[in-house]
Amino acid sequence: MPIISDRVEVERKPRLGGGGPGKIPHRRGFGGGDDGDHGNSGDFRSREQRMRRYRVGMTLCIISVTAIFVLLTMVYVLRMGKGRFDEDAHRWVRDWIPLSLPYLQLWTNSLVLLLSSLTLELARRSMAKKEEFAAMGIVPPRFKRDLPWLGITVFLGFCFLAGQVLVWNILRAQGAFLASNPSRSLFYILTGTHAVHLVGGLVALLYAVAGRLLATKFESQRIAVEVTGWYWHYLAFLWFGIFALVHFARG
Amino acid sequence: MSRALRLALLLIVIGCAYLFQAHPYWFPGGASANSVSIDRQFRIAFRVFGTLFIVGHLVLIFVLSKKPRADGKVSEGSWRLEATWTLVVTIIFFWFNISGERLWSSMMPAEKQPGEIEVEVTGAQFQWYFRYPGADGVFGRTDAQKFAKPDEGNPLGIDPGDPAGRDDILSTSMIVPVGHSVHLHLRAQDVIHSLFIPAMRFKQDTVPGMEIHSHFTPTQVGNYEIACAELCGMGHYRMRAVVRVVSEDDFQRWLRARTWPQ
Amino acid sequence: MSSSVRSKNSRRMTPSYLFSTDHKAIGRAYFFLSLAAVLAGAWLSLLMRIHLVWPHAEIPFLGEIKPENYLAQLTMHGTLMVFFVLSTVPQAGFGTFFLPLQLGASNMAFPRLTAVGFWTALVSLFVLMAAFIVPGGASSAGWTQYPPLSALASAGPGQGLGTDLWLVSIGLFCLSSLMSAVGFVATTVRHRAPGMTWLRMPLTCWSWFVTSLLILLAFGILLAAVVLLMLDRHAGTSFFIPGGLLVSGKAIAHAGGSPLMWQHLFWFFGHPEVYIAILPAMGVTSHLLSVFARKPVFGYKAMVGATLAIGALGFMVWGHHMFVSGMNPYAGFAFSTLTTAIAVPSAIKTFNWVATLYGGRIRYATPLLFSAGFVSLFITGGLTGPILAQPALDTYLHDTYFVVAHFHLIMAMAGVFAIFSATYFWFPKMFGRMMNETLGRWHFWITLLGAYATFMPMHLLGIAGHPRRYSELSGVQYVAAMAPLQKFVTLAAIVTLVGQLIFLVNLFWSMFKGPAAKANPWECSTLEWTLNSPAPVEGFGDRRPQVNHGPYEYNVSLAEKDFVMQDAAAS
Ligand code: HEA
Ligand code: HEA
Ligand code: CUA
Ligand SMILES: [Cu+2]
Repeated sequence: MPIISDRVEVERKPRLGGGGPGKIPHRRGFGGGDDGDHGNSGDFRSREQRMRRYRVGMTLCIISVTAIFVLLTMVYVLRMGKGRFDEDAHRWVRDWIPLSLPYLQLWTNSLVLLLSSLTLELARRSMAKKEEFAAMGIVPPRFKRDLPWLGITVFLGFCFLAGQVLVWNILRAQGAFLASNPSRSLFYILTGTHAVHLVGGLVALLYAVAGRLLATKFESQRIAVEVTGWYWHYLAFLWFGIFALVHFARG
Repeated sequence: MSRALRLALLLIVIGCAYLFQAHPYWFPGGASANSVSIDRQFRIAFRVFGTLFIVGHLVLIFVLSKKPRADGKVSEGSWRLEATWTLVVTIIFFWFNISGERLWSSMMPAEKQPGEIEVEVTGAQFQWYFRYPGADGVFGRTDAQKFAKPDEGNPLGIDPGDPAGRDDILSTSMIVPVGHSVHLHLRAQDVIHSLFIPAMRFKQDTVPGMEIHSHFTPTQVGNYEIACAELCGMGHYRMRAVVRVVSEDDFQRWLRARTWPQ
Repeated sequence: MSSSVRSKNSRRMTPSYLFSTDHKAIGRAYFFLSLAAVLAGAWLSLLMRIHLVWPHAEIPFLGEIKPENYLAQLTMHGTLMVFFVLSTVPQAGFGTFFLPLQLGASNMAFPRLTAVGFWTALVSLFVLMAAFIVPGGASSAGWTQYPPLSALASAGPGQGLGTDLWLVSIGLFCLSSLMSAVGFVATTVRHRAPGMTWLRMPLTCWSWFVTSLLILLAFGILLAAVVLLMLDRHAGTSFFIPGGLLVSGKAIAHAGGSPLMWQHLFWFFGHPEVYIAILPAMGVTSHLLSVFARKPVFGYKAMVGATLAIGALGFMVWGHHMFVSGMNPYAGFAFSTLTTAIAVPSAIKTFNWVATLYGGRIRYATPLLFSAGFVSLFITGGLTGPILAQPALDTYLHDTYFVVAHFHLIMAMAGVFAIFSATYFWFPKMFGRMMNETLGRWHFWITLLGAYATFMPMHLLGIAGHPRRYSELSGVQYVAAMAPLQKFVTLAAIVTLVGQLIFLVNLFWSMFKGPAAKANPWECSTLEWTLNSPAPVEGFGDRRPQVNHGPYEYNVSLAEKDFVMQDAAAS
């Protein structure tokens, strides 16, 4: 049975310029290179390294997504403050119609999303525990608790999306369409962009859930749940940011 | 090969220096109050950066011809040198930057002064319109979407119901008296254009939905071309107009002669 | 259970080379994608130059070029060159191929993501080129796509479907770049070989790394901006379209948007973008100057610092493109000062390049020639930057040929020189054969002199007030008077472009017929040269190189060689 992580043992600090016939004068300092070894010595095919690299990847995605939402927030704030020149009145008027939001539905959705974050965290923890056992070579008996939590998370995720569609429908029923007013446009764009990103997270979770059927490696499921967990919590956080924005900056 | 490379670089330096010395094309003569100080700043800029260009290339040529040291020692860096040249370029660049900022603040668009000539400039694909407020000193209201009729002499859509618009004067060239500060209201009807008067060292985009204020003071009588400097569509290259700088008397005569629309 | 850990991670090469997730295959594919794009882009520039000075010239198969075609060609030229050439080969092309090799990794961190990134870029290129065959032709609003011109189909030919395709294409390109950048950063952070500390990374890796960070921030923003513009065009929103517009006699129903908002968004992306284009080129130049001068890079740490400084400052200077846009004139002060600040690290880099050459045993191979050409062009093109950075002077120079000269010298020509030097240098590792030196030299001389002859005179056109994006010279009298110099520029451009045929012949001839390359023909110390040429499919295989030395250990007094490979034994 192969070992899980065949880590390559390396000398932490290579001894340099150690004398003897084959001495290579090693440059230090300015010209590039130093003689400390703070690099990664682990085998990057090991499970641990794989997990780490997915974490780095997810961090980067989150940075990039943050840039997009910061930009949209800036557009929101600027567009709200801006007016247009009214030719008839010969003065600047603001054309921003304050949002009137279906708060009940929005709070429900928020709650659903928050719950899903919670259940995902439970799933993540139980999987982490399972991995610990697995690393010891023990397959623990009756260890399926991650699936219900995962399944529930996916279900709640779909509920949230359905709830968002409801919100949009309520707004549309009020005659607030994408093009009716910048406040509407931006509400739809912010929530829509958020929903699109959430769908991405759902796909990853579905992959983890279906993994059981597709006989995907446990390790891959574990990674999917772990990094999607980060992403999911981030999206929940983002959602409250958006909610706060459209509430406090209604106009 | 080394020699050929150095020769090529030398050729380039000489060629470029010659090109800028001979300068078959150069700034059109300045004809506005600002042009003097702007031209001075340009002269400084070309001297400083031309020198850096030449020195930079001569240094490059020099290092290419430098033989390695006999003892084979090489340097791989020196904080002292790094600090020195960082300091030197910082001083040069920021000295130049600060002198430019001073110039810019002196050109800053000021509030409209009482005695200024007011001209409203409107860019439309692919034509410039210049409007003067007329005797009452007030521009009539415009609404291009409602009233614009280019064929009937109302391309800007001056509201026929607004009395202030009755005596507005519309022209396709800009007529201004010499020595007067001209206050511009810059607007656009469809897309972004840019009013560029090289001789006045003047350029300002005209942005639809905005009215931008700016000014310049012509100092010499003559005709000066206006070009459009912001891509505005297929006729961008021919969106030309003329500034006619005339004497005070000629300007008044011209104003009196223009009574459109009656 | 643990066997699954192994099998999952063993390299999965799909049988077809095409759908490979091998970073070397993807890197090569990017190279050819850019080659196709550069051929199209250069062909368009030729058509533009010819049309400018001989407006009624009959081009074989195309006939006479109409003014609106000129603008479409201009837009496509800029877009192809900036996005598909300069943001693609130096980063996604050479980077995907050589980043893992230089770091001692066996593949990119997310091979499939990297592969999808390439395919997205390819689709994006097809979507862009499709604009030439749709009704109305390609977009004619310039690579900056300022609305309302770009937002309204009635504003001109090419503003209909052609612009939609442009926006979709750029949206896809953003996605592609983001995917590729995630892989780059994760590889750099997690996949360095044992002993490959941050400060032992070659400067190429440093610039790929910093560029990827810039991409992560900048391209997300462009993506969002492009979506907003698309919504303005088709969903009736008004982010960029103000009220009261009358375009071609038609009243436009939008109201309340701001054209300046787009400019802010675009340049907030656009300025980092030009550094995304040039940072990898700078990295390559630093690397090659050291290799061919047989000296360590002068001031390695200062170079790293300057790279980081350029990356950080790059996000704070976007307003220098907007001095006359109607932006608050007081903002001009801040942007002018910050722009001046960003010129300082660029100058530090220049000094270090020159100092790297100083006193070296320079080997005048083609890659060195092109790198030296890069330094020259970077100085020449860069020095006009601080002039443009002054609002008072930029008022006059903005949107004239002076700007065209600035960015062709520093971006187009310097960038292309870095691409060329990297191609001549890495060709053996990519294709297993050597390129022809004689042809390479001829190519260099023609391109160097041609670049200066083409773009230097453009400064004078700009100084005399020649606006850019003019499809004909006849419209304005003082512009028409500049026809002789324009003619000279066209002739120089034709010579330069014909000179590129030497490169193409050399490239393809060497690919099939060139002499086989040794493992380390340039006697270079970085890890990719420890492998055979061409780099074998399995890369380092199961071996992980142990790195014991800095990247630029040249001029070391040893018996046989004057350099130490990074993975040479420590003692
Ligand atoms: C790779 C691309 C690239 C790079 C690196 C730069 C670098 C710089 N750019 Fe450029 N720029 C563009 C690409 C680039 N630019 C493009 C594409 C446009 C036009 C976009 C469009 O409108 O379509 C543009 C336009 C542009 C403008 C707007 C002009 C206008 O439209 O009105 C400005 C204004 O400030 C500017 C400034 C600068 C500055 C200050 C630098 C500085 O970073 C330059 C720093 C370098 C140096 C200063 C040289 C250092 C050398 C020495 C100091 C020599 C001394 C040496 C010795 C003595 C040994 N650029
Ligand atoms: C990387 C960028 C790049 C490159 C290489 C070029 C190359 C050239 N450009 Fe381009 N140009 C732009 C970017 C670039 N341009 C941009 C952004 C604009 C502005 C667009 C706008 O206004 O919207 C512009 C606009 C522009 C104009 C302005 C027109 C106007 O405003 O009216 C002109 C006019 O002469 C011009 C000419 C040329 C010429 C003659 C060449 C060349 O053909 C010179 C010779 C070419 C080469 C030497 C390149 C050969 C390279 C290779 C073969 C690379 C090999 C590749 C691999 C190995 C993968 N260009
Ligand atoms: Cu109007 Cu260009
Ligand atoms: Cu810039």
